[in-house]
Amino acid sequence: MSKLIFVFLALIPLLCTSFSPDRPSDRRVLVLVDDFAVKSSHSLFFNSLKSRGFDLHFHLADDPKIALQRYGQYLYDALILFSPTIERFGGSVDAAAILDFVDSGHDLIVAADSNASDLIREIATECGVDFDEDPAAMVVDHSGYAVSATEGDHTLIASDDFIKSDVILGSKKIEAPVLFHGIGHSLNPTNSLVLKALSASPSAFSANPKSKLTSPPSLTGSSISLVSVIQARNNARILISGSLSMFSNRFFRSGVQKAGSPTKHEKSGNEQFFTELSKWVFHERGHLKAVNVQHHKVGEANEPSIYRINDNLEYSVEVYEWSGTSWEPYVADDVQVQFYMMSPYVLKTLSTDGKGRYFTSFKVPDVYGVFQFKVEYEKLGYTSLSLSKQIPVRPFRHNEYERFIPAAYPYYGAAFSMMAGFFIFTVVHLYHKCVTFLNPAFGGFLWAMF
Amino acid sequence: MAASDAQNGVSSIRHAFGNVLAFFILLLIGVLAFSIRLFSVIKYESVIHEFDPYFNYRVTQFLTKNGIYDFWNWFDDRTWYPLGRVIGGTVYPGLTLTAGTLWWILNSLNIPLSVETVCVFTAPIFSAFASWATYLLTKEVKGAGAGLTAAVLLAMVPSYISRSVAGSYDNEAVAIFALIFTFYLYIKTLNTGSLFYATLNSIAYFYMVCSWGGYTFIINLIPMHVLLCIVTGRYSSRLYIAYAPLVVLGTLLASLVPVVGFNAVMTSEHFASFLVFIIIHVVALVYYIKGVLSPKMFKVAVALVVSVGLMLCYGGSTYSIGSIKPNKGMEWKKFKSVRSFLTSLLCDSTYASKYIPIIASVSEHQPPTWPSYFMDINVLAFLVPAGIIVRLMLVLAPAACILSGIALSQAFDVFTRSIKLQLPSLSDHSQVDAGVASPESVVPNDSVKMDKSEDTSKERTSKKSKKKEKEPVEKPLSKSQIKKRLLVLPLETSVIAIILLVLLGAFYVVHSVWAAAEAYSAPSIVLTSHSHDGLHVFDDFREAYAWLSHNTEVDDKVASWWDYGYQTTAMANRTVIVDNNTWNNTHIATVGTAMSSPEKAAWEIFHSLDVKYVLVVFGGLVGYPSDDINKFLWMVRIGGGVFPHIKEPDYLRDGQYRIDSMGTPTMLNCLMYKLSYYRFVETDGKAFDRVRRTEIGKKYFKLTHFEEVFTTHHWMVRIYKLKPPKNRIRGKTKKSKSKTSSKPASKRKGLKRNPF
Amino acid sequence: MARSSSKDAQDLFRALWSAYAATPTNLKIIDLYVIFAVFTAAIQVVYMALVGSFPFNSFLSGVLSCVGTAVLAVCLRIQVNKENKEFKDLAPERAFADFVLCNLVLHLVIMNFLG
Repeated sequence: MSKLIFVFLALIPLLCTSFSPDRPSDRRVLVLVDDFAVKSSHSLFFNSLKSRGFDLHFHLADDPKIALQRYGQYLYDALILFSPTIERFGGSVDAAAILDFVDSGHDLIVAADSNASDLIREIATECGVDFDEDPAAMVVDHSGYAVSATEGDHTLIASDDFIKSDVILGSKKIEAPVLFHGIGHSLNPTNSLVLKALSASPSAFSANPKSKLTSPPSLTGSSISLVSVIQARNNARILISGSLSMFSNRFFRSGVQKAGSPTKHEKSGNEQFFTELSKWVFHERGHLKAVNVQHHKVGEANEPSIYRINDNLEYSVEVYEWSGTSWEPYVADDVQVQFYMMSPYVLKTLSTDGKGRYFTSFKVPDVYGVFQFKVEYEKLGYTSLSLSKQIPVRPFRHNEYERFIPAAYPYYGAAFSMMAGFFIFTVVHLYHKCVTFLNPAFGGFLWAMF
Repeated sequence: MAASDAQNGVSSIRHAFGNVLAFFILLLIGVLAFSIRLFSVIKYESVIHEFDPYFNYRVTQFLTKNGIYDFWNWFDDRTWYPLGRVIGGTVYPGLTLTAGTLWWILNSLNIPLSVETVCVFTAPIFSAFASWATYLLTKEVKGAGAGLTAAVLLAMVPSYISRSVAGSYDNEAVAIFALIFTFYLYIKTLNTGSLFYATLNSIAYFYMVCSWGGYTFIINLIPMHVLLCIVTGRYSSRLYIAYAPLVVLGTLLASLVPVVGFNAVMTSEHFASFLVFIIIHVVALVYYIKGVLSPKMFKVAVALVVSVGLMLCYGGSTYSIGSIKPNKGMEWKKFKSVRSFLTSLLCDSTYASKYIPIIASVSEHQPPTWPSYFMDINVLAFLVPAGIIVRLMLVLAPAACILSGIALSQAFDVFTRSIKLQLPSLSDHSQVDAGVASPESVVPNDSVKMDKSEDTSKERTSKKSKKKEKEPVEKPLSKSQIKKRLLVLPLETSVIAIILLVLLGAFYVVHSVWAAAEAYSAPSIVLTSHSHDGLHVFDDFREAYAWLSHNTEVDDKVASWWDYGYQTTAMANRTVIVDNNTWNNTHIATVGTAMSSPEKAAWEIFHSLDVKYVLVVFGGLVGYPSDDINKFLWMVRIGGGVFPHIKEPDYLRDGQYRIDSMGTPTMLNCLMYKLSYYRFVETDGKAFDRVRRTEIGKKYFKLTHFEEVFTTHHWMVRIYKLKPPKNRIRGKTKKSKSKTSSKPASKRKGLKRNPF
Repeated sequence: MARSSSKDAQDLFRALWSAYAATPTNLKIIDLYVIFAVFTAAIQVVYMALVGSFPFNSFLSGVLSCVGTAVLAVCLRIQVNKENKEFKDLAPERAFADFVLCNLVLHLVIMNFLG
């Protein structure tokens, strides 16, 4: 897999790589660190990014020269904040600037740590992640800790409670648990945008390991999230981790044995976990696009500007997924289209031909109005597709109703017989008028009284 | 008055002269009727007024562009989003077709007028036609003099002017003409008994049905007249010829108009005509049999029919005694239907307002106050005895004009005659001579002319013989004049009365011109106000519509209160959610509910309707009283009528509607309040509302779900955009956190400051 | 009583009949025409009662064409009747021309409304 990517990389010229709808993967990444030691201590992670073609720019977080945008253009496609203790960024960067960066569709990786600054916490909160308010608190797990040489305070946790999504974590199962050392956070369960990528075990809790537990910890059990991912409504992706050391070479390389588990893994799952996760965050996976929406009447090829009630129509759309190198057909059996006017009148599951084309046909309901073809596709880990196309539906024209109804034949007959009668009457009347003129005395005298 | 004299006059010259005079007077009346309605164009510009006409204008544009067939089948997807509107089946096409035809004729004559110009001037042109139709009608009833008087009065009656000034492009503009013309043809048919006029009559009726829903007046008034004639024993076969073909042909033609369709036979408004149709047949049969049989036999026939009828009735009643309860229900239903019929006919506004707030919210449906009655009919009110709704006023106006036209011309007749008869008595001539004087003075004139004309004709008679012929004619005439002299009023009285009448007429003219110039000519889309530093023009509406058409996407939907719907679609070419066509109460109630809900709920309602922009009209800065805040209670009522969680008392403090600091929290938090008064405090620092004459209750607030995108120069129209849903969902708000984070910052600042 | 009334009725019908027999032929033709129209209308109403009023416009136009024809014929009859003094100055030719015009309009409308 990585070789393939490498081959692909060689093909890509380095500078032509800004984020575009055609190539959704990020290219230019700004990495802000507390000190440059991180660059070497986390080199494995950075190298894996570099090897996938990312152009990393390292800066100290308080470097006065850093800027996210110049002349209204963003200089980077993604941002990695490996500076958990920073109180204020240098240059023009602040929390609002970073959030604007995300809101304009760019990706973000944030690593906090046990002494995370308010700034980092604020950014996380804005994204829907609430770190434990106690600044000294860490996630402690007395049963799910990683077995190590020194019997510590069980803040080094081995967790294997991953999110169940092939899209986010790749199709290859992560065998080894992931090592974690840092602070936990909680998510609002009603928040539909944020997902726990890695959660703590039920026995975990968040507290200051140095002091004695006086009151029940505010965060406990599997509600603690260790690593979360967020997909914003504009499909910008964010990764927030409670631990910076997770990304470090030391954690990537070290072996791991979960307490109570007989198997000892030579290598922790961290590398695989973050490689796959970064692929997702940087849009190398799970990014869908829908193109070529077509609809027309059955038996016709051209798209009409208006439908008539009870028309039969065909609808098709093509959906592709970005594989990191090219757009591949997306295959699923749960894409649905709605024919919508205030509420869906028709809801149909689209069938696919396996080459990315989805299609169906249905009958326009017997209601006129301004309808919409709506495809609202939101699947865990995938970017959401929201297509809507407005199309009016008109009633029958005046000449489109049934013309000659058998039940009405007597009426037609009557009307035509009246017409025929009129002609005959005209003839007869004119003829008889001559007769009466010839014979005026014929008129009845009784009428005089009328 | 010359014309009326002419008709009474004996000589044909005078008659011809009178005809020419009458023709020129009519021409002048037409010019008067046309030009009195041009004040709005002169004072403002050639622009279409009000709200409804904008829809008609749009339809006309479509008609001229796409032709009649597309118009007939037009499904308009821009109004009433997302329901759409079948234009062909829901409009009275008369007006549009008329203006379209006018435009087409002008264009094929190579007179390139814009559709808008044609639309603006349709109403004045048709008011000229209407006054001519009034002349014809009154002439048919009472003679040319009364006709001319009535035509003058109609040309100037303020209530008609109010509906037909240049730019008021509404159904009534052509419908009044059609109404009067239909009645004229009916009377004409009645007088001549010709099927030809009956056909014309039903075609005129068809035009009326095309033009206006008020055609029910005709189809109820004519049967009433027929019934009255039958009851008073004035049935004649001409009545049958005038009425029966009208019902059959009229009903058929009316059901050809899509908007009426089967209603022409299915709804209660039309039943009266069918009932009378049956009655007139029975009566005709009875008269026929009466004519055929000898009186004795006829009596027998009556006895037979009555006894058979009684037996049938008896059988029927004994049968129905068994089933009295369902019958009662039937009766009740009948009563109800009769009541609803009466309601629809007389538009009993209290009944309507009780049940359908939306009807009551339209000021047209409210009972007019006596001042407005006086304002609209003015002097004519003295001549016609009458309380009715505003729209009925319009129908009343022609009747009032005709009646007072007749009254006036009769009065003039009487007074002038008495003057004419008494003036000679002041000289030394004998009474008889004086009596003959006026006709005689004409005779020489007459004969001279006659000579000329008789040159061509071969029957040449001497003057003497002619005089002899004339004398017997004159004698009965003078006799009748002697008779009339008994009715003659004293000279002084009649002179004073004429002066009074002239004064009355002058007063009427002055009032009408004033009303046309001042009261009814404001186009309501452009406003002016006079103040100490001159004239102010408020053109905010068009400013806003232009903004919409230039700055929003073609498919964007705009929500506003329904008053502005037609204008928005016509002028900004944007889809609106509700407009002035009020057939769907629920849809309007949805918008009303959104306006009276707090921001978030309103946002959800609008979002579900795909609304992008919300438009509110706000008059608080310039004192424009008919703004949305003043209409707001109607929104609450209409919204509450369908969605019961909106309750009117929530918006009232002790039954009073107020927006100052005493206003209820519901009121001060509803969307309409917020959109109207957003940033209002920035204008004068006090947020003083000039319409409500108070400081507003809540001055400083932010909008969370809406953002202001445009406010016009005088703040009369404000346009807001719905904010998109948030890109991210925020976590728990941690106020303590943000405070602690801001505290260190300030501390640090303090530290930095300390060294200095 | 009953007998006398029945006798009266008989007299009545006889008188009616004799009166009618004296009617000019052209009026009789018109009467025949009217009866034909009314009869057609009645048949249609019966048919509608049996079948239901689905193509309502067709029914309406069918019945109204008959009624209209009948009404117009009655109007014509009134106008051409020589004994009717109200229409002395109206020439029968003119009356008939009006009648034809009226009928043309009627049938045009009927054709429009039938389908």
